[in-house]
Amino acid sequence: MYKKKKERKKKIIIFISCIAIFLLLSLSVTLSRNYTFVESFFKDIATVCNKVFMYPFTTLTKEKEEDLSKSYVIQKNVNGALEKEIEELKKELDLNKTLTEYDTVTATVLSRNKSYWFNTLTIDKGKKEGIKKNMAVVTKNGFVGKITKVSYYSSEVKLITADDVNYKVSVGISTDSGDTYAIMNGYDKKSKLLTVTGVDKMSAVKVGDVITTSGLGGREPRGIHIGTVAKITNDKYNLSKNIYLETGQDFSNIHYLTVLREKSK
Amino acid sequence: MIGYIIVGISLMIDGILTNFLPYNVSSLSLFTPLTTLVSLIIVYPLYYHRNRDYYMMAFILGIIYDLFYTNLLFLNGFLFLLIALLYVKLYREIGDGIIRILINIVLCIVIYELLTAGIILVFNLVPITFSKVLYKIDHSLLFNLIYGEILYLILKLVPKKYYKAPIN
Repeated sequence: MYKKKKERKKKIIIFISCIAIFLLLSLSVTLSRNYTFVESFFKDIATVCNKVFMYPFTTLTKEKEEDLSKSYVIQKNVNGALEKEIEELKKELDLNKTLTEYDTVTATVLSRNKSYWFNTLTIDKGKKEGIKKNMAVVTKNGFVGKITKVSYYSSEVKLITADDVNYKVSVGISTDSGDTYAIMNGYDKKSKLLTVTGVDKMSAVKVGDVITTSGLGGREPRGIHIGTVAKITNDKYNLSKNIYLETGQDFSNIHYLTVLREKSK
Repeated sequence: MIGYIIVGISLMIDGILTNFLPYNVSSLSLFTPLTTLVSLIIVYPLYYHRNRDYYMMAFILGIIYDLFYTNLLFLNGFLFLLIALLYVKLYREIGDGIIRILINIVLCIVIYELLTAGIILVFNLVPITFSKVLYKIDHSLLFNLIYGEILYLILKLVPKKYYKAPIN
């Protein structure tokens, strides 16, 4: 009798533990959530340790200086005359946000996250530097991803190569007959090209056309270079075009990147 | 203490190698590291008859691993704990030895990757196929088997007084 009771108790404990683990895991793996206060605190401690430990390895490369001088966005901002012109055009076109509305924060990649399936990086800049969720992240080759989680001293960047069904970027394609808009929503592993689907079949997109962020949806600034059209196919129903684009960015080899921070007004 | 040192060093090696080797979907290196998991397997003889300590270490190690490298708190905490629970049973069945430790490592890596893929599938986070999981597994074996074998040989040099179970 006593043995039976004990066994039943054991089964109940196992059952409750399984439910608790399931709930904790579902909370943990929710990709869109931000850090909790406790998590953020421990993450910051881990970041400081990681920073100290990775210091000799991150200083081995001089890519940081290169990035600062060659960054697409920074080059745009440095050119004073161009900035003035943009200001005038903004007034003319009644635009609210252009690239001049953004500061840049250069960050070091602390670690390439081991969560292989999610394609994320941890950088050494966080809330302290004014980084917020969904900010665009670029390198000298253009747009590479966006901020998904932020703690005080670090942030997580999700790369555009991530195979996440919920991760889509609105893009604009500059064609001879004007701009066409579409959604970039994946990465083709075989060809190692980014995929853009739902492009109007009648649009005059051709190989070599430049693809930039469209700014639609308000998440990314407009006009950040992503890549060029490398291949065009029709979708399986022959209703729209699928475009494959080449970025020129080696996503396995990112050590420094730049976060576009909206200027505070 | 020796167990903690080995596991700590392996945790650091894991981070460094991941940063400097290709670790992107579809472009993995054959030297994809899982050194933290391998070290957890190798140090078990130091905790033989102290299973509770071993499980505790596995769980805490998983949490630290999540904080440093994945940003998915508890995921590896539970996975490492589960691997520790399975490995204790496996160790009793298979034991260890230069060849047998390789079998143990292969089994643990396969179970770990399948569990990770299973969780991703259950929570519908990323489109995942069996071939993608196989790709990840086969690229995780070579380096980790070599690392496990080296760790095993290093552990053999540790004085016997630190062991509760003899290494064959």
